[in-house]
Amino acid sequence: MSMSRRCIPYTPRTRELSQSVFALVTTAGVHLRAQEPFEVAGDNSWREIPGNVQASDLMVTHDHYDHRDADQDINCVFPIDRLRELAAAGIIGGVAEKHLGFMGFSQNLRDLYERAAPEMAKIILHTNADAVLLTAG
Amino acid sequence: MIGIPTILISLVPENSKQMGPPRIFTPKGFKLGNCLGGPFQVELQREVMRDALSRWEAREEAGTLWEREYAEYTGYDDSWKKVLEEG
Repeated sequence: MSMSRRCIPYTPRTRELSQSVFALVTTAGVHLRAQEPFEVAGDNSWREIPGNVQASDLMVTHDHYDHRDADQDINCVFPIDRLRELAAAGIIGGVAEKHLGFMGFSQNLRDLYERAAPEMAKIILHTNADAVLLTAG
Repeated sequence: MIGIPTILISLVPENSKQMGPPRIFTPKGFKLGNCLGGPFQVELQREVMRDALSRWEAREEAGTLWEREYAEYTGYDDSWKKVLEEG
């Protein structure tokens, strides 16, 4: 289903915050150290990040913002430790089994809009996530 | 079509709004790369998270933008904005 670019797609929440499992989706170029880095000149691919990832297993590949702070502390752009703390405190229902990392600089916006973004959304919809926190750099 | 409720933390809301995010929260003045705050500013990161999640939780008109300033943030630096404007 194609959507007008003028409409704001809005899905209301159906659960309370404390019952909702959150996934992180970022355009800050975050991926596992073991995964192939993003192509900084333009890349519409994404990386699946396991829900139980350790912060030290993550890195940033991105040429369009200064990520030296994120290199020290990934939580600056991908707050995985903060999310876990919120789950442990019962403020959110849990941390999703999968997160997504994306690079966010693209030379092919049509492919991003028509293929990549819907496919990423489908991946998240097929997980146990009830909600998504989106971050950029 | 099934959707999923989202909250976007954006440091460049004037750009992000063009894409029509349903919920958007901006920590004011944070530089790119400090979406949740500076490195190891744990309490600040927690506060930004809680504020973003409160926007997810609120039932508001789609596209509402919320902004907040944080006195604890120390990384203020506008130079990245000039780079962004210059493309």
